[in-house]
Amino acid sequence: MDAISITVNGKPQSVEVTPDTPLLWVLRDTLGLTGTKFGCGMALCGACTVHVDGEASRSCTTRISAVAGRNITTIEGLSADGRHPVQAAWLDQQVAQCGYCQVGMIMTTAALLAKNPKPSDADIDDALGGHICRCGTYQRIRAAVHEAATKHTAQLTAAGETR
Amino acid sequence: MSAGAGKIARVSRRDFLKAGAVGSASLVIGFYWADSSKAVARATADAGKDFAPNAYIEIHPNGEIRLIAARSEMGQGVRTSMTMILAEELDADWSKIKIEQAVATSEMKYGDMTTGGSESVRSSWDPLRKAGATARDMLITAAAQMWGVPASECSATGGSVIEHKKSSRRLGYGALVEKAVAVPVPKDVPLKDAKDYRILGTSKPRVDGGPIVIGEAHYGIDTKVPGMLYAVVARPPVFGGRVKKFDAEKAQAVPGVKKVIEVQAVEMPPLFGEERPANSGHQHYLWGGVAVVADSTWQAIAGRKALSIDWDPGAGAEESSEKQRATCAEMVKGSGKELRKIGDPAKVFDGAAKKIEAEYELPFVAHTTMEPPNCTAYVRDGKCEVWAPTQNSGGMATALASALGIPASAITIHITLLGGGFGRRLNIDYGVEAALISKAAGVPVKVIWTREDDVRHDFYRPMSHHRLRAGVDAQNQVTSWMHHIAAPTTDGVYVGGDVPDTGGTELAGTGLPSGTVPNYLLEASFLHTAVPRGYWRGVDTTWNQFAVQSFIDEVAASMGKDPLELRRELIAAKTKPEAGGGDQPPVDVARLRHVLDLAAEKSGWGTPLPKGRGRGIAGIAGWGTYLVYVAEVTVANDGGVKVDRVVCAIDCGQVINPDMVKAQVEGGLVFGLTAALFDEITIEGGQTQQSNFNNYPMMRINDMPRVEVHIVPSHESPGGCGEPPVPSIAPAVANAIFAATGKRLRRLPFQTGELAKA
Repeated sequence: MDAISITVNGKPQSVEVTPDTPLLWVLRDTLGLTGTKFGCGMALCGACTVHVDGEASRSCTTRISAVAGRNITTIEGLSADGRHPVQAAWLDQQVAQCGYCQVGMIMTTAALLAKNPKPSDADIDDALGGHICRCGTYQRIRAAVHEAATKHTAQLTAAGETR
Repeated sequence: MSAGAGKIARVSRRDFLKAGAVGSASLVIGFYWADSSKAVARATADAGKDFAPNAYIEIHPNGEIRLIAARSEMGQGVRTSMTMILAEELDADWSKIKIEQAVATSEMKYGDMTTGGSESVRSSWDPLRKAGATARDMLITAAAQMWGVPASECSATGGSVIEHKKSSRRLGYGALVEKAVAVPVPKDVPLKDAKDYRILGTSKPRVDGGPIVIGEAHYGIDTKVPGMLYAVVARPPVFGGRVKKFDAEKAQAVPGVKKVIEVQAVEMPPLFGEERPANSGHQHYLWGGVAVVADSTWQAIAGRKALSIDWDPGAGAEESSEKQRATCAEMVKGSGKELRKIGDPAKVFDGAAKKIEAEYELPFVAHTTMEPPNCTAYVRDGKCEVWAPTQNSGGMATALASALGIPASAITIHITLLGGGFGRRLNIDYGVEAALISKAAGVPVKVIWTREDDVRHDFYRPMSHHRLRAGVDAQNQVTSWMHHIAAPTTDGVYVGGDVPDTGGTELAGTGLPSGTVPNYLLEASFLHTAVPRGYWRGVDTTWNQFAVQSFIDEVAASMGKDPLELRRELIAAKTKPEAGGGDQPPVDVARLRHVLDLAAEKSGWGTPLPKGRGRGIAGIAGWGTYLVYVAEVTVANDGGVKVDRVVCAIDCGQVINPDMVKAQVEGGLVFGLTAALFDEITIEGGQTQQSNFNNYPMMRINDMPRVEVHIVPSHESPGGCGEPPVPSIAPAVANAIFAATGKRLRRLPFQTGELAKA
């Protein structure tokens, strides 16, 4: 087993695992970052979603060898203070029930808003249609995405004005 | 009310915690948390003995308040609702209450900790309020003593402060603790009048929501114990199968694999400590199989792939869903075991002016909690410690003691957060399995189930077949109603076991029109199968309500009546409708009628809809709650069904937290609708054919209807909210499909191909 280098939440990491090991298990078992969840192992439920160079990716089917040298962001690194607009909107809307799938939902939404600050309902269906919430929080998820989009845009606008 | 709920006492901290960082000056109020019949019986038996509280509130000198709670948090918000109930009567500063998960031991220090049956709020309502009021009264007495004024002049402000208005003096609870500890515990402190509530009935945010959105909420699967290894298990593919022999050589060669261990299929005690009748045929077995223990989850999975196992398939190998369906369809043609009979239904049916008859079918379905089953266990020196996402720590402790052959006192269960429960985690198989593996490995082991393991080795909601017959007389009144159910029992069955034809409560959840039609018959026939069954959110109501609420519509159509109107007639004065759901007090016809009318009004019942769209109604009284749905659907030319909108009217008595009630309705509706639209576990050659979300699909965000929840204001005792939202959505949608198309779908999941236009 050769060491594979990745950057996780801005921190360089070197891990010794077989190259076929999914990124999910490297994050959870090797690096102890358990915020990223295991749900299906087949990229069918979205619970394991992280950002690879800013793109929402399913870590359960991403081999570690495929992300050598790349920048990985997990929920633990999404914001310094836990107040990313998406996280704030999730609390405002009281989205979570058991909460297990929500980390994946939040990561996908954050990546969506970075590209598409004003998503339509159809855009939300496209982006989050790959996720499953067994507690059935979908109505609140949609509301939270719209709220985050509104606040996110306001933040971006405010940042632009002060520049 | 619970038998022991009235008993409240100040106790020494030593009584329940051997070590702690806080000083002895904290005010600790112990109270008895009796709930299920089992716990009530225990409380009664204990009444003459020393008072042994099983729940505690502590008020610390720094003003912090802790509640030690027995219930498991699985997304229903139980930690928040309990905190709210306590804070209300204690007049506490909401933000200073900390809720702590009780640790389960076989001594049952915290009583019955089972979390299920939509019972948590119902069972804690009285004891929590009394404990809070008692503590508040003691703090008031303490303040009055310190100020030398009558206690009647002092009051709680609602912010963990007692004040004496006349002298404008105020003291925080923390400052009063030392004095309050010496105050005699008052008896029968009056509870607040509902009109004075300032917390109950408001939408407080979840007390434990913050960690979830930053990835710091710890579920069972996130457990890490020093020296821990990871394991996955190859379980018998055929239900009731056993390991004949296996070759571990290749598995052991996989990097990181430490051990390959055979897990024996051991016999298990009943799930809830219930009595097992002698020679009853109850045989509950743990699956058994071969475990691969490794340095990481992925290595364990890779090791399992390399295993070579020769299975003895066992007696279940011939089973198939098609055969089971055919057997049940045959069974309902004859007569079954009589479960409930009123009048002479067969005779009246024979003489009816109009006879209506229909059959309905539902499949086995799985729970698929998003967090798959998992458990971390450490067995050493005759002791067992487990970290488990469980709804049933009491049952797990009993089973662990039995499987490990150690005394109950040697077992400790740390209940983690649950990534969904839905009844799957009332079963304790995954806990016992982990403990047996840890015992053999000699180290702490976290056993993780892959999604395939979960789907193939669940305890499924039973399949069922229903034959319904109704007779209508010349005056266009329903005069007879007969319902024959053919199904396996739910009764906590383990692999290889079977149960006698008991026909317990799991077949009782039929609800309307039982009790409203003068001649009624409910009978059951039992399918014997090795396929494991279990409790699935809503349990019996999820199959019975689909059949019954669909058939009410069919009868209405045949009578030329509006389906809402027939329901109103059925529950009209002088009838005694049966409850549909578990543990329901007598049905209050006025409350049921009100939710029917409210749902109809809010949904625009009776107003025209465009072609291809339709509305359907269905509802239930159960778990102390009344709930009615009106579903609106669009049926496309190709038969595709889209549920556009669902209006819900719910009366769940005194609401603790309206936003959480709405969340439970939204979620329960999705749970029921997912099963109605997609879910079916099929068996072939004694094996489950589905494996993951590709062939066992779930509702997703694009399938989500617009949901409106209308809560009836009420100060009646709180009802349950976890299960009532599940059963009525499938029949509401079936009825809406009929309204849209004139076609009746009688099998779940909906065979929408039948709706396609040629």
